[in-house]
Amino acid sequence: MVQATKMDPFTLEIVKDSLLATGDEMFIALAKTSMSPIIYEVLDYASGLTDAKGQLLTQGNGVTGFIGMLSFMVKETLEKYGNQGDLHPGDIIIINDPYGGGGSHLSDVGLVMPIFHEGELIAFSANKAHWTEVGGKDPGSFTNDSTDIFQEGLQFPCIKLFDQGDLNEGLVEIIRSNVRFPDLSLGDMWAQVAALKTGEKRVKELCEKYGRDTIQSSINYHLEHGERISRQEIAKLPKGTFKAEDFVDTDGIGNGPFPIQCEVTITEDEFICDFRGSSPQVPGPVNCSYTGLVSAVRTIFLAVTNPTQDVNDGVFRPLKVIVDPKSIMSAERPAPVSNYFETLVGSLDLVWKALAPYLPERLSAGHLLSISSITLSGQHQDTDEPFLIVEPSVGGWGGADGQDGASGQFCVADGETYNVPVEVAETRYGVLVDEYSLRIDGAGAGEYIGGKGVIRSYRALTDGQAATVTFGRHKFYPWGTKGGYEGSPNEFYVEKSNGEIDGPYGVYPRYQLQKNDVIKLRTATGGGYGNPYKRPAEQVAKDVKNEYYTVEEAKKLFGVEVNPDTFDYKELDVRLNA
Amino acid sequence: MRVATDIGGTFTDLVYVDENGGIEVAKSHTTPPNFEQGVIDVLEKSGIDQTAISTFIHGTTVIINALTERKGAKTGLITTKGFRDILEIARGNRPDLFNIRYKKPSPFIDRFLRKEVNERLNYKGEVLTPLNKEQVKEIIEYFKKEKVEAIAVAYLHSYVNPEHEKETIKLIKELWPEVAVTASYEVTKEWREYERTNTAALNAYVQPAAATYVNKLYNKLAEQNTTSKNFIMQSNGGTTTFGNAKETPINMVESGPVAGIYGSAVLGKMIGEENIIAFDIGGTTAKCSLIEKGEVKVSTDYYIERTDRNAGYPIKTPVVDIVEIGNGGGSIAWIDDAGSLKVGPQSAGAMPGPVAYGQGGTEPTTTDANLLTGRLSAKNFDYDVNLNRVKDAIETKIAKQFDMSTEEAALGIIRIANSNMLNALKLISIRKGHNPQEFTLVAFGGGGSMHAPALAREMGVKKVVIPLASPVFSAWGMLMSDLRHDYINTFIRRVEDLDLNEINNYWNEIENGAIHQFENEGVDKEDVAFNRFADMRYVGQEHTVKVPVPNGAWTAVEINEIVEKFHDLHEQNYTFKLEDTQIEIVNLHVTAFGKVPKPVVNKIHREGTLEDAKIETRSVYFENPNGWVTTDVYQRELLPTGQLVDGPAIIEEKAAVTVIYKGQSLHVDEYGNLIIETGAK
Repeated sequence: MVQATKMDPFTLEIVKDSLLATGDEMFIALAKTSMSPIIYEVLDYASGLTDAKGQLLTQGNGVTGFIGMLSFMVKETLEKYGNQGDLHPGDIIIINDPYGGGGSHLSDVGLVMPIFHEGELIAFSANKAHWTEVGGKDPGSFTNDSTDIFQEGLQFPCIKLFDQGDLNEGLVEIIRSNVRFPDLSLGDMWAQVAALKTGEKRVKELCEKYGRDTIQSSINYHLEHGERISRQEIAKLPKGTFKAEDFVDTDGIGNGPFPIQCEVTITEDEFICDFRGSSPQVPGPVNCSYTGLVSAVRTIFLAVTNPTQDVNDGVFRPLKVIVDPKSIMSAERPAPVSNYFETLVGSLDLVWKALAPYLPERLSAGHLLSISSITLSGQHQDTDEPFLIVEPSVGGWGGADGQDGASGQFCVADGETYNVPVEVAETRYGVLVDEYSLRIDGAGAGEYIGGKGVIRSYRALTDGQAATVTFGRHKFYPWGTKGGYEGSPNEFYVEKSNGEIDGPYGVYPRYQLQKNDVIKLRTATGGGYGNPYKRPAEQVAKDVKNEYYTVEEAKKLFGVEVNPDTFDYKELDVRLNA
Repeated sequence: MRVATDIGGTFTDLVYVDENGGIEVAKSHTTPPNFEQGVIDVLEKSGIDQTAISTFIHGTTVIINALTERKGAKTGLITTKGFRDILEIARGNRPDLFNIRYKKPSPFIDRFLRKEVNERLNYKGEVLTPLNKEQVKEIIEYFKKEKVEAIAVAYLHSYVNPEHEKETIKLIKELWPEVAVTASYEVTKEWREYERTNTAALNAYVQPAAATYVNKLYNKLAEQNTTSKNFIMQSNGGTTTFGNAKETPINMVESGPVAGIYGSAVLGKMIGEENIIAFDIGGTTAKCSLIEKGEVKVSTDYYIERTDRNAGYPIKTPVVDIVEIGNGGGSIAWIDDAGSLKVGPQSAGAMPGPVAYGQGGTEPTTTDANLLTGRLSAKNFDYDVNLNRVKDAIETKIAKQFDMSTEEAALGIIRIANSNMLNALKLISIRKGHNPQEFTLVAFGGGGSMHAPALAREMGVKKVVIPLASPVFSAWGMLMSDLRHDYINTFIRRVEDLDLNEINNYWNEIENGAIHQFENEGVDKEDVAFNRFADMRYVGQEHTVKVPVPNGAWTAVEINEIVEKFHDLHEQNYTFKLEDTQIEIVNLHVTAFGKVPKPVVNKIHREGTLEDAKIETRSVYFENPNGWVTTDVYQRELLPTGQLVDGPAIIEEKAAVTVIYKGQSLHVDEYGNLIIETGAK
């Protein structure tokens, strides 16, 4: 029975809360049933609801990089099916097109389900998750030396996986024969389907309870609420034009570095990011598509305006993104895009860098920037079963006004991402982790110091393992701000069993490891904030005692002489005029 | 006589059963930082003969306070070489996704007190590098020099093979018997090194404070010539001895709150309800937990200081599954930047408290809204209530913003608060695949009875029980508790490769260990009862489903039964099952109860008429349709048993008020509980 409810502000608020709770529920459901560590530990997926027009209502995020991609997927679905009246209850559409409706790489597979109430389309539930495998030339699918999209795996061009509830068995067979770990990929697909159905069920229940009109009003109210908060925040920001330039290290196949730039203009009611003048699209797979760029800008826009608010498409109405066609951050088919995320964070970082000196209350100095991903494949020493590690790495964040940078955190494009415990890794994979510790390298000095990167060393326990490492920020270091020093680069070395040491490298495809070779991954220390001479001497002495900096560094970088036995300290004259 | 005392933020509660089976209650102020004094005060206030106490059960916030206020001991950590930074790297996650200035929780142990030794096991527990005892000795010297008060030891893979940890703590105890020491295997036997290390570190951190507190309490009791057996409530819903509590205080983190959940299960058994949603509303938070077939659910997915903005700190000890939200009587109503009404999580607390207290509170709270709408009356407060001030606060802070009447605004506050609580209640029930129609809501705490009938109807729950002594129900739960220990061991095996001999031996080993531990605590073997569970998943998954599994020796028959059960539970929880996929066991979990004799609660029979119990008639502002309704108000203690009260009605008792709506009815049962039919279809 549809209850007659007065459309008061509290009902709208309560319905809105129910929609948000549904987003959370869909998000948790996916992680709990997924088969792949990249989903249940890294939380490399997003799920949410949009309205009938594809406007995002709520999104549960594991990673920030997906913010905005769900709506593009739904809009693509609407364009292909909706306008022709070809969408029906029970349909589920599968899509991973990087250029149009989805915006990342083929590994991120999206599912979209229209939700009907009494025959009328009222919303969509959608999710997008990183499958461990979608085929292509390399295990793990995403690769750092592809030269076109066809090497990167299976493409799902917005087609029906379910047609009015009937599974497209042929499609499932195609997936099964084209991916290396079909049980993982299909297991994740079922988890995604289950999460979508949860969303459908809850939205229908809400319609039953409150009536469609109330739901529609609540959706509008919710989007307007988001927009209002954004506009209020923009009004508080410094006005003007702010510029930053930087580089994307390499495209993975020997080209680069590639210059990128951004001009941020903030007016009374708009926030415009203009990336024109950046490098054209490149031969290797670091290209990012336009939808990926939009996600990047949305992430930093939220950080700048109001990081705590609910995320919906209303929030982003004041945001504008301008870019040349076919650039490194607006690549077009068939450019390779497998490592799109390196350019995504690079673009995001430009906006961050341009505004950091003017918004110390919201932004820190530069951080490790790179996803710092590694895939390692081989055989387990006891079971002889093949294994595949696909994981991002933690590193240092920048110092900020009033606080030191965090050590050992995933980069901004990740989020509620968890590292893989050593005990879990050693059980599942054919490796021994020799070390997982903070990287102490004297970088990132400042009044507030940059957080530390880490060292994670994998010792191969079988012959014939292959490591594909994609560490950006290898040639250009995390930037300091307001007199803080820059951080250190992401890099890796290989210590071979014969004692030979090879490295450092940033990006490297399929490095061959034999038994007892050790690959030593070292991630960046973040940039510092403010003049190091202003760091309280007592704190510097503590840093020395904690072995974050050496006695020599304390003296040279911070102007504090620390006794290595007693940790008594003396301030040097250089600090006086700081 | 069995006596239970529970230390809360404001009051220390006492509940006992007298010789006639009647339940008596006393309350006294909590006395920080010497909490044991409050216990002694409330014992005196109750007037009981302290020499007649046979069993004394205690719930305490001392452990959680030491953690959240960072008032634990100076603690050192010893780890495997290469892993001193485990606590600082943690898991690298950032729940506050878009915050570029995220503050990572800093470790409880500074880097200069985290030391490494050469030793290494592989994932099977085989020794790759033997323990270097010389290094351990050097570290002990260093820790002495640094005036460390407690030491945690956590090595990789010790959950499979604790030998190196055992040798290390043995050495420490030999060389430095005064220092508190915790090995990770003693507090948890699950994998994941960060979580296990942190649990060991926090146990060490609170050990000295816990020992001091328990000793002081013991001495105070002894001074009163009390010769009782003494127990402390643990987070798993059971009790343990004072001795154990000093060794593993980290098991006491949720000492108080879980007792009410456990009490709900006990109450359910008394009145024939085995599926229960336990619901506790206090001053700043509301907590709920689901009890299925009489079973209180326990897990080790527990964190302190974890929010949707903060990663918090994991504690891998068994804790009753509770969902807690920042909504209680003192929660503040406010309007966000874009003009939406929100309630909580900020709370006016006990001081200054709601505007109604007249202690300087200026922000309208849920309690104020309940007062303004007539659900509460000024007489319910211990304070001199200035109703105009309450009206004024709601008027200026809320009503004006929406251009509506004060009572509409007050009702809005109640509805938003209810919506928040409803989402928490749904989270543990509908969203886990349970049908609320099959559950009874047991509501307690200061605010439980006020909100529960409306929430129950909204959820489709048919029956609500407001237990006798509902404002001090946690203490009542303690009174009814058994000793309990949970043993959770990571044991990764595929079901199809399971060696029946191996697993049967493993179960026996755990259970024999439990019997041994109980014997040390003075519980006979015959009084020990076991429940077994296996945490299981499809191969490839990470998260597990807790499956109740049979006791005794397993054969192929039991294995089939378990597999079926797993598929069903997976489907119930997550909507699908994968019957062709292999299944894996991750943890074996034994809950062991040391049964003790419980007091018998008397049945009551009260004659009389509703008219005798009636205090007054007042106007109450209800929703759907919104308006003032003339409502009868009754005194709970005078209501005749078995007679129906039709809603709308209000039942008052000391420190709590029950509100039922039109279409709902209520009666007092033979134990003095209020039983409400919610009118849900």
